[in-house]
Amino acid sequence: MKKRGVALVMAAVVAAMGISGCGGKAKKDSETGKAEKIRLMVWSPSEDQSKDSGEWLQTTCEDFAKLHPEWDITFVYGVADEATAATQVAQDPEASADVFMYANDTLTTMTDANALAKLGGKYREEIEKTNSEEVLSSLVKDSELYGVPFTTNTWFMYYDKSVFSEEDIKNLDTMLKKGAVAFPLTNSWYTPAFYIGNGCTLFGDGTDESKGVDFSGKKAVSVTDYLVDLAANPNFKIDADGSGLAGLRDGSISAIFSDSWDANAVEEALGENMGAAALPSFTLNGEQKQMMSYAGSKAVGVNPYSKNMVAAVELAVYLGSAEAQMTHYELRNVIPCNTELLADEKVANDPLVSAQNDTFNKTSILQPFVAKMNNCWVPVENMGKGIRNGSVTHENAAEQTEAMNEAMNSDGI
Amino acid sequence: MAAQKMHSAKKKRMINNVIVHVSLAVLAAIWVFPIVWVILTSFRAEKGSYVSTFFPKEFTLDNYIRLFTDTSILNFPKMFMNTLIIAVFSCILATFYTLAVSYCLSRLKFKLRKPYMNMAMILGLFPGFMSMIAVYFILKAIGLTEGSLIRVALILCYSGGAGLGFQIAKGFFDTIPYAVDEAAILDGCTRWQVFKKITLPLSKPIIVYTVLTAFMAPWLDFIFAKVICRANSDQYTVALGLWKMLEKEYIDSWYTSFAAGAVLISIPIAILFLIMQRYYVDGVSGAVKG
Repeated sequence: MKKRGVALVMAAVVAAMGISGCGGKAKKDSETGKAEKIRLMVWSPSEDQSKDSGEWLQTTCEDFAKLHPEWDITFVYGVADEATAATQVAQDPEASADVFMYANDTLTTMTDANALAKLGGKYREEIEKTNSEEVLSSLVKDSELYGVPFTTNTWFMYYDKSVFSEEDIKNLDTMLKKGAVAFPLTNSWYTPAFYIGNGCTLFGDGTDESKGVDFSGKKAVSVTDYLVDLAANPNFKIDADGSGLAGLRDGSISAIFSDSWDANAVEEALGENMGAAALPSFTLNGEQKQMMSYAGSKAVGVNPYSKNMVAAVELAVYLGSAEAQMTHYELRNVIPCNTELLADEKVANDPLVSAQNDTFNKTSILQPFVAKMNNCWVPVENMGKGIRNGSVTHENAAEQTEAMNEAMNSDGI
Repeated sequence: MAAQKMHSAKKKRMINNVIVHVSLAVLAAIWVFPIVWVILTSFRAEKGSYVSTFFPKEFTLDNYIRLFTDTSILNFPKMFMNTLIIAVFSCILATFYTLAVSYCLSRLKFKLRKPYMNMAMILGLFPGFMSMIAVYFILKAIGLTEGSLIRVALILCYSGGAGLGFQIAKGFFDTIPYAVDEAAILDGCTRWQVFKKITLPLSKPIIVYTVLTAFMAPWLDFIFAKVICRANSDQYTVALGLWKMLEKEYIDSWYTSFAAGAVLISIPIAILFLIMQRYYVDGVSGAVKG
């Protein structure tokens, strides 16, 4: 009996602590002096906060604090990279950062969980002024803007300048005659490039879920046929588990397709011969077709549950501003997307920047972020694997392509 | 004639032995293969995640050194300490819970005994991570999901359910003669004293087993740590850190260090096992002697 009493007292104490903890905080917020005391939690990838790459986030936040003497801001930093921030925030928006960075393909996950604030008014105007249509459209859903873009996100080509000339890299088949090219055929972020290049579409213009996926008919089958031949080409290597980079290092491969995060590794492997370019075209039944990658953007988002909404939005806009993008680029090679910065000579002459932006502007489609897009990854991956294993051949190409199309349009797993 | 027969029997046995040992050696090689590969990779000097040869072309210690010096992006020493603290405390708590529950269910007769055992059996059929989101929100309500209190939260997570895993220890306690307990009680021992002075010293093998499993669970767990740590990178455990190293941005430069980390986390378990192994003797026979 006595023990039970103790347990009850303990429980009461714990509960009281919880309540008084919350109460205390609320009081502090309302007791406004000259400078309002606020606490902002900011999440970013760990590289943004590491000493080795210049503590971009901390410096930028401190600069922001200096610009706003009306607030006495305490920053709390957390680590969440753009790809996984969505799951973290959607799990519990109330206990998440006020400002965080996310990749635009996770937009629907977050809006569904009501974890992303809409930006409007003067903030929206400011963002619209300094970003291209394409970048903006990657963050707009039902004509509401959901973030401040700070970089584009797509894949492009790295190549060895000593093997391929500027002329060669315009066509994949020409390249294959001169040197070995690795392409991640079993990765469904990459493989659709060929299908989309030949006129296949995803959800109309990418936003209309009811239109479904059109990866069927002659246009798709001829691509499957092309890919079967491609996989049989001795100069074509399938890049998986990092084999492309390993090939660049030992010289057995002269071109790979990847994202800007591999830039340092490629530079180490190729040195002065490192080249980066937008995607090549490919020759399909005598016709030139352009490979089209998926593209998206990374953006700074604001938590709708933030207790200091104005400050949070201001900070988000500042983190995506031209100055912040410039330091981000200088410190971490994060390729800017601000149109004023892209006009800057120093930025424009960087081959990496032009490769990524050329890809984004010319040889890519906006990666659809409708919910049904989730069904589109596995079937394409299976197609790539089938081609690699030889289970997809010229004989059954039509059948297999239709099966892929059907799977992409179905809700089943 | 007889000598010849014996000779052939000997020969037969030898052939048998050769076959058995060769096949065992082959199987052993297959089983050890992945571990050898991880160890070799942890010493590999070539970069990247893809290799064309089984044996590294060059060997180096840099992967290990990097784990402990390059702490700006992934702070391995900190994660290692976090995990060690969490594992040690939850090991102590969980061992105590398991043994205490097992003792009660084996020795005390009370009304809820049977229903409790049934309930535990049914609850045990559900995987623990089914409740992880609920656990997260409960911990958040108590205020344990921020800062270094996350460690407390994780310790609670890993040790809280230990009482449900009593079956094996209870089975062991059941084999200790009840007469020993009765004698002790006649001599004036309390239940607690019986547990501490008689049951525990007789149960070394099962204590060792409980300690080992109680230590390994938090040491290797990923899913609860992931749900509860969220963006608090200073509270990450090694499982989270190792997983991070395989993310697409890091895999190329961190892959070999990942293997080094994998080798390092097996060391505390190995040490614990080596220390405890010698207690793997029959505890009950000791009781008869003493």
